[in-house]
Amino acid sequence: MVPPQITITNTIRKLRFEHGEMTQQDLAERVGVTRQTINAIELGKYSPSLEVAFRIAAAFGVRLENVFSYEGGSQSQ
Amino acid sequence: MSFREKCAWISFVLLLLLIVGFAAAGHVEGAGFHYFLTLLLAFALLQVLLRLIIRWQAPKDARTPKDEREQLIDLKAARIGFYSLVAGVLLAMLAVHVHGNPWSGLHTMMLAVLVAWAIKFASEIVYYRRGR
Repeated sequence: MVPPQITITNTIRKLRFEHGEMTQQDLAERVGVTRQTINAIELGKYSPSLEVAFRIAAAFGVRLENVFSYEGGSQSQ
Repeated sequence: MSFREKCAWISFVLLLLLIVGFAAAGHVEGAGFHYFLTLLLAFALLQVLLRLIIRWQAPKDARTPKDEREQLIDLKAARIGFYSLVAGVLLAMLAVHVHGNPWSGLHTMMLAVLVAWAIKFASEIVYYRRGR
């Protein structure tokens, strides 16, 4: 059976705006990835590992679910 | 464009030139071992020189270790390159079988290595353009 398509969305752009227009480069340096990777995540082209996702949330001082959410697929429990 | 994408472009373009030079060897008067050695040396020197230039332009990017997305791109491109190499080596073996000339087989095998390498860098570029 083909697993249901899951769309992961994020609020990184909004969070960057709320944190004094933090640049992608600033966020990349805090997270420990390249600016291009932050850009790819922000545009939804690349889904980061849990480790990087937590580090992004920590950089903004928010919980993981405030940064990433998914639509589609079964949300059991 | 990131530092690593630039590196991939440099390697890809230089490899294409090397492949053309290698494939054209049959049409160059007296192309032998020294011809190939010159090609390889020019390839290596240009790689080092051009990478030094882009490293000098973006020293911070150059010092940053590969992150998880770049490592993933590297792995995915290497897999495509590997299958290209296997196909090329099988073709080279077929060439030896058909022509009965081991030198033509060796020539094809060397070409297969270079083409597989170029395909690996081309795949990297495509993945970098796509973002993953």
